[in-house]
Amino acid sequence: MNFTLLLTVAVSICLIGIVLRFYVWFSQGIHPPATSSSLPQRLAAAGRAMGGALFGPRLVTILKSIFLDLLFQQRVFNKNTLRWLAHGLIFTGFLLLFFLHALDSLITEKLFSGYVSTLNPYLFLRNLFGLMVLAGVTIAVYRRITLRPQRLKTYAGDWAALIFVGGIILSGMLLEGAKISSYSTFQRMVEDYGDVAGDQEQQALEAFWVKENGLVIAHRKVEMTTALVDQGREISGRSCIECHAPNTSAFVSYGLARITGPIAAAAGDAGAVNFLWYLHILFCLSFLAWLPFSKMFHIIAAPVSLIITRIMGKENGEPANVLTRQMIGLSACTHCGACSLECSSNMFFESFQNDFILPSEKVQFLKNLAAGRELDPDTLKKLQQGLYICTSCDRCTDICPSGINLKELFVSSRYALLAHGIPETSMLSHFSFPLALAQYRVDDHLKALKILEQLFKKSFRVLADMVQPLTLTRPGKFSNPSYRSCYSCQRCTNICPVVRSFDNPGEALGLLPHQIIYSLGIGNVDLAMGSKMIWSCSTCYLCQEHCPNQVELCDIFYGLKNAAIAKIEEGDRS
Amino acid sequence: MKFAFFQGCNIPVRIEQYADSTEAVLRIFDIELVKIPEFNCCGYPVRNVDEKAYILPSIRNMAIAEKAGLDILVICNCCFASLQKAKNVLEKDSALKDEFNTLLAKEGLTYHGATRIRHYLTVLHEDVGIEAIRNKLVNTCKGLKLSVIHGCHILRPREITQFDDSFVPRITEDLVGVTGATSIDWRGSLECCGAALAGLNDELSRRLLQEKITGAREAGADYVTPICSYCHLQFDTTQVNIAAQAGPETDLLSVLLYPQLLGLCLGINEQRLGIARNRTIGVGDIDHIKSLLAPPVEEKKKKVRQQAA
Repeated sequence: MNFTLLLTVAVSICLIGIVLRFYVWFSQGIHPPATSSSLPQRLAAAGRAMGGALFGPRLVTILKSIFLDLLFQQRVFNKNTLRWLAHGLIFTGFLLLFFLHALDSLITEKLFSGYVSTLNPYLFLRNLFGLMVLAGVTIAVYRRITLRPQRLKTYAGDWAALIFVGGIILSGMLLEGAKISSYSTFQRMVEDYGDVAGDQEQQALEAFWVKENGLVIAHRKVEMTTALVDQGREISGRSCIECHAPNTSAFVSYGLARITGPIAAAAGDAGAVNFLWYLHILFCLSFLAWLPFSKMFHIIAAPVSLIITRIMGKENGEPANVLTRQMIGLSACTHCGACSLECSSNMFFESFQNDFILPSEKVQFLKNLAAGRELDPDTLKKLQQGLYICTSCDRCTDICPSGINLKELFVSSRYALLAHGIPETSMLSHFSFPLALAQYRVDDHLKALKILEQLFKKSFRVLADMVQPLTLTRPGKFSNPSYRSCYSCQRCTNICPVVRSFDNPGEALGLLPHQIIYSLGIGNVDLAMGSKMIWSCSTCYLCQEHCPNQVELCDIFYGLKNAAIAKIEEGDRS
Repeated sequence: MKFAFFQGCNIPVRIEQYADSTEAVLRIFDIELVKIPEFNCCGYPVRNVDEKAYILPSIRNMAIAEKAGLDILVICNCCFASLQKAKNVLEKDSALKDEFNTLLAKEGLTYHGATRIRHYLTVLHEDVGIEAIRNKLVNTCKGLKLSVIHGCHILRPREITQFDDSFVPRITEDLVGVTGATSIDWRGSLECCGAALAGLNDELSRRLLQEKITGAREAGADYVTPICSYCHLQFDTTQVNIAAQAGPETDLLSVLLYPQLLGLCLGINEQRLGIARNRTIGVGDIDHIKSLLAPPVEEKKKKVRQQAA
């Protein structure tokens, strides 16, 4: 197939993809609902923000960001030198190859008047840059494999990116190697550029190129005397060297040619060159077409995200820009997993076995939420739990190499999901504490707590609703046996700071601390689990400390809370 | 002396000044705090939901410190109690220990229980000692009245935390005393700040906090000195939130952290101690505290006499 046609198709797909991704930036969002501001409003707001940044004192900040965040990758450098090295090698090598090699007719030729791709330093540099990329890819692969126990998740898309980048470079090197060893390429070049008189000179030149430049001639025996090689060197000096540096300068491809040359020659060297050329072109063009639909779109989105973060920090700007920034952030994620590696909740991931507890996995999935895709209830519930089991330590936001404001994304998503009305038992944990401090969406929070309260009412019968007298059953169903030593002095209730906070504590709390211990004593754990008291316990341990009989009240309350949540979750599943 | 510095989740992002001032004070006594980025949450937030999930994170943290051959130094009460609790549970439950160790082995960690959990106040009180602190004082702060609120999880349950006498704690008394300031006797000192209920039952949580604010004021406190980071956030953030709703005229009870006070008396610059970063403290407060600072008179006399002899 025609190269221009393939190139046109790939570039068109890439451009369409980029336009689509830009459209998504301005049309989707997580919370507040995307309907709150229209596409033109959001474009205008983004325009205003950009204008304000470009024509003002913030320009200095932008320039600083370009050097520190984009080119130097300071955020990665500060955290992990090896990852910085891997990214730096790939980033530098790949960009230089793209501009100086792929676009040589547009850039290199204009910049350097004597540019010929087979001359040095170009021949050498191409190999050097390629080797840099390969070294970077190798480190990246190593990192993905060795960090698996540290909860680094790798998707097919992550491998695909590495295969594409590595494939482009490797196929290019193999192609160059095949050309080095190919006799038909040699012949074509001699015909086009060579100054060779007669068969004897041709033989001498061939001998020299076989000896020192990796040429492979398999279809006949080549005479290799020192005199012939020397003569060949002389002819080469006269007619080749001006436009063709020694192949050894292409140190990687030359080495490859030594290995692949005989194989290519046996299989047909012209065919091999042709095949590898297509392979290389296909790798490059499919990468180009795939780019906007994959995590490689970060090439465009991450710089934008980093500059925004450099200017805005964790603060939000104009309301119409909040959603746009969320979307830019989501598209800037490279799934590098840096956030999950340092996530403070990582051990909760091990306990609850929910991928969404890891920030990197949340970000990956939130795209579906932003796009308004229908999510099945199980996934929704898991995502909601994952969003809630978060210590609000902000480490992920500070670490993210793409500068995504993860904190804002997660808070918004958390309340966007809670609005669906699915009860979230993790709200009863102390993960709620930093949320209360920050006073995020107080009304939404209260509403979600109400839903949970109703679920408790449905699941547990409280003492006040019971008409039948309580029956005694055998005690011993509860894991902490210390309740058995209670001798009913009620010291616990008398010292409780929560009890004394109410005018009518019995009504407000359902059961008082000593009554909870009594409930366990008569074997009615459910009654204890359903009381409001356990959720009003301030966990101050005064009761437990003051109990003359070492009843571990506060620990028992924790146990009851755990059991109540387990029962509710169970009921929800069945 | 060298410790692995366990800051928890709140301090690095919400109370940096607590870590900074503690570090600055301890450095004067040649105590180095090593920051370990691999540390995770202590587990405390999930205790209401699942006890086992609450224990595991602390075990990993201790395994990390063990690998580094360091004891852990903690500021936050809830982190302190979680680490001590986890240690205590595994001492009695070898099956759980094996289960957790299998999990930790994936990342090359093992928990043996060798790491000791130290609260920074204990380190100051026991390892440094009151006399050593007194010898380094540049100033004392006579006339300053502090209402110390210990926070529950450092004192109780005493078998687990093993911090001090849970009914009549001495450590804070001695440590405040050496600075010349007075730790006033007030009823909230050993009680709950309400933090554990925040986000679950804000109304009740705030009621408990308000009771402490009023109690401290009535007892004549100039400042409140919370030991726990959760207490700190209740007094220094929630109090501001409540005041914002109540109106601009509301008078705040200012927070002064213990290492900030001790730091001033040791001659450390107030910026380094981050005093102005306490949200409830005003410029007037800082001037007030500084006006009370004076060289430790008696000590100097003694020294002069010793030199003369």
